[in-house]
This record gives sequence, structure tokens and C-alpha cells, in this order.
Amino acid sequence: MTLPFLPIWFVNLLGSILMIILSFMCLSKIVELKKSDESNVIWIYLFWICCGFIAFAMSRSIGHILKWHFLFSGSESMWNIIRPYTGAVNTLMFIFVASVTLFFERIWKIHQQVIKDKQALQSAHQELLYLSQNLENLVVERTASLAVSESKYRRIFEVSRDMILVAEKDGVIVDMNPAGYKMLGFNDADRDLKQKRFNNFFASEADWKSIISSIVKKGFVSNYEVTLKCSDGSDKRSLVSGGMDNSPPEKDDTIHFLVKDIEQRRLIENQMAQTEKLASIGQLSAGIAHAINNPLGIILGYAQMLIRDEDIGTERYADLKTIEKHVKSCRSVIEDLLSVARSSPTARDSVRIHEIIDGVLNFVEHHSELYHIKIEKDYDMNTPPLLLNEKKTRQVLMNLILNATHAVGKSGTIRLSTAYNRGTRDVTIAVADTGYGIEEKNLSRIFDPFFTTKPTGEGTGLGLSVSYGIIKNHGGHISVDSMPGKGATFTVVLPVNSNGAGDKG
Amino acid sequence: MRPIKNIICRLFFFLTAAMVFSPDVVCATQIHGMPEGIYVHQIAHLFFMISMGFFIHWLRRRQLVKETGWRYIQYMAFFFILWNIDVFFLHLLDEQLGVIQVNLIDLTHIRIQSESRMRALEIFYYLASLDYLFCVPALFFLNLGLSHLVSENHSQTAVSMRSRSDDQ
Repeated sequence: MTLPFLPIWFVNLLGSILMIILSFMCLSKIVELKKSDESNVIWIYLFWICCGFIAFAMSRSIGHILKWHFLFSGSESMWNIIRPYTGAVNTLMFIFVASVTLFFERIWKIHQQVIKDKQALQSAHQELLYLSQNLENLVVERTASLAVSESKYRRIFEVSRDMILVAEKDGVIVDMNPAGYKMLGFNDADRDLKQKRFNNFFASEADWKSIISSIVKKGFVSNYEVTLKCSDGSDKRSLVSGGMDNSPPEKDDTIHFLVKDIEQRRLIENQMAQTEKLASIGQLSAGIAHAINNPLGIILGYAQMLIRDEDIGTERYADLKTIEKHVKSCRSVIEDLLSVARSSPTARDSVRIHEIIDGVLNFVEHHSELYHIKIEKDYDMNTPPLLLNEKKTRQVLMNLILNATHAVGKSGTIRLSTAYNRGTRDVTIAVADTGYGIEEKNLSRIFDPFFTTKPTGEGTGLGLSVSYGIIKNHGGHISVDSMPGKGATFTVVLPVNSNGAGDKG
Repeated sequence: MRPIKNIICRLFFFLTAAMVFSPDVVCATQIHGMPEGIYVHQIAHLFFMISMGFFIHWLRRRQLVKETGWRYIQYMAFFFILWNIDVFFLHLLDEQLGVIQVNLIDLTHIRIQSESRMRALEIFYYLASLDYLFCVPALFFLNLGLSHLVSENHSQTAVSMRSRSDDQ
């Protein structure tokens, strides 16, 4: 069958040229892609595919062009020489392109893994970049917040009213806050912790051992009451809480203590107990006094009636007088007892306390031997008039001054002082003597009714009780401070009532 | 040890010399005759075709054909499969089976003759000779696909550059 050759020739020639052109265009594209990312395995893969196609296109197209050239020019023998070579190269190129193509799946997996790793690296890089760019700011911020935190906790340590103490297990003090120094009686110059051990401040070594034992066993101790010995020798009752600190910054285990001073609280509790005790005794005494007072009145009445009918000088008259005298004495005691307990308002006037004190002193000087006793007066002239029952106040001062003269004995000093405190609006009257003082065991009983250190028959033991009752009735309070052998000081504090006269005395 | 080594070296030398100076037919070596070339060529076509088939399969499994560039590359593989089928049959008819005879009559005509004078086979052979109609589009689609990959790569680079500058 004869067919036109031109279409075949045209398609072959044009196709050969286009194959070469297109393969090189593909190569230029893939080179561009490869340049954009040299490490991209997909571009490398496509680059090798394109290289294969170029070789394939070149060998096939050139072979075909030469074929038709030799056939048309009548040199078929030449074509027969070249033909096996072009065919062989074509075959090799198919195999090459086909082989490279079969690596696509593996190459794609590698590419995905590379992308994943690249993203991870990029994110790590971003993070590092952020950190490196902001490291200084971050450090500044962290340092500032650390400084604020440190300052806050340092302030708590410094400002705390309770002792905060850090000690090692053997008691060696590592650090202590200012409240701790103050509590233990150190002044600013003594704030050297070298060789100081916390256990040395314990009045009882057993307390320290017990605390340490509890901390070692349980890791903490809570509100353990101990008595601490201050540097001035005084005792201070305190509540100790503490816990073991095992945090890494400490080179060894340390114990953090929080020590609360409860001395004042205990004193107040004692005072309250004393007040309650006196109030109870007062009520009891008042009950008894009231029950006895009426029969005594009847006895006194009948005794006085019998005296009236009896002749003076007779033995019977003398006996009745003795009965009358002792009944009156009993009534006086009863009256005093009632004064202790009575809390009913009494008539009060505006009085000048200094005048009352001077009046009492004059009375005592006339009735006692005060020749060898030195009287010192230290009046606060700003003391305002006080709203008081003058008679009862005089009685209180009389009791205190007479007690002082008895305590001083034949020679000594009695010091009378007043002080006006504008802040609390009260007046303090102090009667101090240089006598033998009061023993510590008696201090808590000194205001008890019928308590006396005087020999039997010389005192009823009601003077201070009555004084206590009177002062309480006036809204004030009375206290005593004494060291055996160094005298005693009775302090009366009376409120300045706003109903009284002006502030100036 | 040394004498044994010397003996082995001498033996090897004499054997090599005997083979060079006294050649003979070595039955262990297979002789490659004329038809092997065409078989290798045909197998290469089949291998090329199968690899292109796998290529299409992987592109579709990875859903890369959703991207324009890779879709065109898929078309490239498809046209190369067609081209391989085409030229495989051409080689089969004229070189392997020898059922077609082609003669150039003059510059404008050729004669295609089949052994059994089958007109359809002769026309098929004539049309199949236009195999560039498959391989040129294949390379055209490869070029188109790569062009799209280049433009996509450019746009991705621009986006990443922009985001990097935003970060900074």
C-alpha cells in the first residue's frame, strides 16, 4: 500500500526539534527550582528525570534526523552503521528514566521527613532567636521580680513583731530578725551571732531537747510553750513553732523557728485571774458581812441599853463597855469588808489629788514618828482635778502611806509622785518606799482580804483589799512592784473623768 | 607462608599466559546474537511503561494530582505510556515479527506492505509511525507541570519571606 510520506517526515522532523527544545525547557525550569532550594530532594529527583529525557530526546531526535538525511541522500549504509548506536542509547535512556522514576515513592518519603525535620528545626530556631533577642529583657524581668520577692520576704522577716530565727540542728543561730534580738534583750551593738546558740536561751534544756526531738521525728513543732532567758537575766514565756528546711540552697538541714512572746499575755491573764479572785472573795465577804452586820447591830443596841441602866464604875458597866468596844470593832471590820465588795456609785466631787496627798501626809506626820523618814514629793503640776470620792480616796492614800511608813521602819525614804498621761487621760499616783519590800510569793496575795504579813493583832489584812475595792470602784487600778530588800512601789492609776474640771491642776 | 604465596602467584601467571596465547571456545560464556538487541529494546519499553504507571499510581495515592503542577506531570506519564504502547507495536510488527515491509518510493511516498496484505494493519502501521504525536505532548506536559511548580515555589517563598519579616 502506497501512502504519502510527507506527514511522517513532517511529524518526525518537527517532533524531533520540539523534543529537544521541550527537554531543554524542562531542564531550565528544574534548574531554577533546584537553585531555589539546593537541598530539596524532589527537585534533585526531577532534575535527574529531566537529564534522562534530554539524553533520550537528543539520541532519538538526532537519530531520526540523521536517518531521514541518510535515506534521502542514498547513504543507507551509513544509517545502518549508526542505527545500532542510536537504538542502544535510546534503550539505555528508557531504562535510566524508568529506573529513576521508580525511586519516586522513596524520594517523596524522604522529602516529607526532611520537611518535618526542617519545620522542627525552624521552630527550635525561632524559639532560640526569641530567647536570644529577649534574653536580656527576660533576665531583667526575672531579676526584678526576684528582687521584689526577696524584698517582700525580707520585709516580713525584718518587720515581724515575733522572733523569726534560723538555726542549725545543734542550735547554732544562722540568722535572726530584729524582733528576735529585741525579745532576747540585745541592743544594736550586740547583734553578732557568732558562737550564739538558741538552746542557750532556753531556761530548761529539756524544753530544747523536746523541741528538737519533735522536729526530727515529725518535721515540725507547733506552739510549744517555753521560758526563754533574756540577756539581762529576765525570763520570758514564749510559744515556739518550728519546722525543718531541707531545701537545696541550704548546705545543711536548718530549722526555721517562729517565737511568740506571751509574757505580757500571761501577766494580763494573771491579773485577770487575780481580779476575778478578788471579786469572788469580795462577794463572799459582802455576803458574810451583811449576815453578821444585823446581829451585831442588835448586840450593840442591847449592850448600849444595858450600859444606860448601869452605874458608871461598876464591874458590870466595865464588862458591857468591853462588849460595846469589840462589837464596834467588829462593825468596823464588817464596814471595811463591805467596802471591798461594794460597786455602787458613790458621791464624787472634783478634787485636787495633790491636796489630798498633802492632807494625808500632814495627818500621818502628826500621828506617827516620821522624824527619820525622808519624804520626797514629785508632783506633775499638769495633773487636772479628778472626779473622786474624797473621803475614800483619802482612805486609800492613808493605807498606802501608812504601809510605806511601816515598811521603811525607823529610817528610809518615801517617795510620792504623780504623773499625768495626756494620751491615755489618766493620772498615776505612785507611793514608793525603801523598805524591806514584798516577797515574790506574797505579791499575788497582797490584795487578798485578811492577808497580812504583820504580827497577829497589828493588822486586819483589809487595808489593801479595801483600797483595791475603792480604786476599782473609781474605774482605776492599783498594782504593786517590789523586789525583796529594795522596797516596794504601789501605783494607783485613776482616770481623768471628762465630767471633771479643766485639764490644768 | 612465603613459598606457598610464591607458588600461587606463579600458577596464576602461567594460567593467564596460556589463556592469552592459546584462545579457544569457552562454553560458559553466552553468545549474544542479533535478536537480543530488539528484545532488550522492547523490554526497556515495557519497563518504561510500567514505571510510568507506577508513577501515576503514587501521584494519585499521595493526592499530589490535586496540585496543578503534579497533575500535568501525571499527564506526561500518561502520554509516555501511550507512546510506549505505540512504538512497542511498531517494533513488534516490522523488526520483531517482520510482518511489515516499508520502502521509500520517492521523496513524497512510501510503500507499506504486510505479509498477509492486511490493509488495516498497513494503515495502523502508518498512523503508529506518527509516534511523536505522543512523546511531544508528554514533554510538553512535563514542561507545563514544571512551570507551575516554579510559580508555586515562587509564591511559597514570597509568603515565607513575608512571614519571616513579620516575625522580625
